[in-house]
Amino acid sequence: MKRIHINEQYCIGCRLCEIYCQVKHSKSKKIIKAFKEEASDMMSRVLVEEIGSNSFAIQCRHCIDAPCVDACISGAMTRNENTGVVNCDEEKCVGCWSCIMVCPYGVIKRDVKAKRAASKCDLCIDEEIPVCVANCPNEALKYCEDKNE
Amino acid sequence: MRPLNTVRIKMSDTLKSHNNVRTDYLIIGNSAAGLAAAASIRKIDGQGSITVLTNESHSNYSKPLITYYLAGMLELDRVFFKDSSFYLENNIRLICNANVYDIDPEKHEVSADTGKEGQVVFSYNKLLIANGGRPAIPPIKVVDSSGKISELSDLMAPDENPLERKKANRKQFSKKINGIFTLTTLDDAISVKKYIANNKISSASILGGGLIGLKAAEAFLELGIKINVIEFSSRILSASFDEIASDIITEKIQHSGSNVLTNSTIDNIFIDELSNITGYQLRSGKKVPCSLLIIAVGVAPATGILGRAKDILKADGGITVNEYMQTSDADIYAAGDVINSFDKLSLKNKNIAIWPLAVNQGSVAGTNMAGGRQKYGGGFFMNSVEILGVPVISIGLSSAQDNEAEDIKTYKNYNSQKNIYRKIVVRNNKVVGAILAGSIERAGIYAGLISNDVDITDIKDNIAKEDFGIIQLPAGYRKHLVVGDGIEV
Repeated sequence: MKRIHINEQYCIGCRLCEIYCQVKHSKSKKIIKAFKEEASDMMSRVLVEEIGSNSFAIQCRHCIDAPCVDACISGAMTRNENTGVVNCDEEKCVGCWSCIMVCPYGVIKRDVKAKRAASKCDLCIDEEIPVCVANCPNEALKYCEDKNE
Repeated sequence: MRPLNTVRIKMSDTLKSHNNVRTDYLIIGNSAAGLAAAASIRKIDGQGSITVLTNESHSNYSKPLITYYLAGMLELDRVFFKDSSFYLENNIRLICNANVYDIDPEKHEVSADTGKEGQVVFSYNKLLIANGGRPAIPPIKVVDSSGKISELSDLMAPDENPLERKKANRKQFSKKINGIFTLTTLDDAISVKKYIANNKISSASILGGGLIGLKAAEAFLELGIKINVIEFSSRILSASFDEIASDIITEKIQHSGSNVLTNSTIDNIFIDELSNITGYQLRSGKKVPCSLLIIAVGVAPATGILGRAKDILKADGGITVNEYMQTSDADIYAAGDVINSFDKLSLKNKNIAIWPLAVNQGSVAGTNMAGGRQKYGGGFFMNSVEILGVPVISIGLSSAQDNEAEDIKTYKNYNSQKNIYRKIVVRNNKVVGAILAGSIERAGIYAGLISNDVDITDIKDNIAKEDFGIIQLPAGYRKHLVVGDGIEV
């Protein structure tokens, strides 16, 4: 499957990935409207970590043996056998946070603003390229086939 | 009330006029471990017949969700975790209301009482025992209006082997007490919910301040019912929380107008002539009026069904299995809350009754039953609860204290203003436990450090910080963590 690959050496911590992720997952999908009117509900599913000049952006790795899928008590977190995408059905999710407890990357967030549900990267499945990758100015994020699969 | 999702197969369709059913794979238990096993068997063996037995009347449902249903946060049709299509797509025969009372390892037969259809014998090639746990009933005297005394466990011992019960000459359910419940099945939750509605309950008592008791507490508080939590030890959640985390939750409960009573237990329960609970007496002698009491003192592996296969138990508590989830009988596997499984932190087999491990164990068992070869890597305790808006995650040896002899050191970060607390337990320079209260973001990073046995000597100073993340991790582990999955370090 195609995955988002992280190139830490090119990341300058500009956080454009976070901004585009928030807009993509907002109601209006419009950047000004999203940031001015929906700000309280906004949550990025990609996370920039930064210490000094070191930084990188990380989001769900869509693990083959995803611990979050095993841990899910409501059947909301599933891995699509065809696409390989690990997705959280936010309608089914009850907010028990078992997935947060087991994700070794720490990339699932607790959303209690818009709804009570786990919030994570869905690989922008309706886009050709995930928006965080498409809007990275430095190719610090790349979307390509995983050589190891 | 909408009907449950169900593919309940009518017994009359499948078992008509024969009391003997042959199946390649027989699975006792229709929950996390049992269904994970069924799915992984089907991945390998497309043809073999799979039969799943459950002693419950419902199709699959998620046990951890029953308190969400009780709290009114979920409708009854949302408590399932596998769609009804799961059984059809995987060609799995599900038989509800099947109470297993004997397993004959020599003949490869399981006997079950199926209610209307009578006794049925299931012959198997491979058997998985994944029937979970049953609630423990503490020694409490029940005093009726005439002063007659009985044992609570005689009146409400659940899921015991009917044959053993006969032998012991105990009459189950000879007298049902209204207003006392355990809370481990969907039927329990449905009964409690009905009882609350019918009796206009505004306060309830919960015996046991562990995770089940607190899950019940969470549901009652959500319904606006005031609670009394009665806990035998000096603080609630003593097994999985440390003092600060227990205090945060205790204060939150007390602040809401409810009570937490520690160092206490119930000695006597009083019932009236119609078998309704009227109150109880605490160890201190104090009598408390009560119309709803939840017994939540713990859950034990439900090994009462084993019958002639009881030799596979081997140790106290749960069934002993090897790393392939196989018991001492090569054709009998076991997984989930009914077993003692490998604990990575104590390096011993232990009963760790949690959902993620049950799924993992069931999946490994299924693979091996179907002729594959997969090892179970072990696990450790972890849990996530949210009480009155305070989420808490505890992982591994979370309640451990600093101890030079055992080389245990704890790193704490407590903001009492915001009620945010984080404690990381380190043993021999490796993370062995964690508690995160108030803010639980990225808790899984610690679980990952435990699973992967990572040396954290160089990052100790940052380990309990609120912004602790992947970027602080040792480069070697980061690379290991993400090799092939795309982080370049």
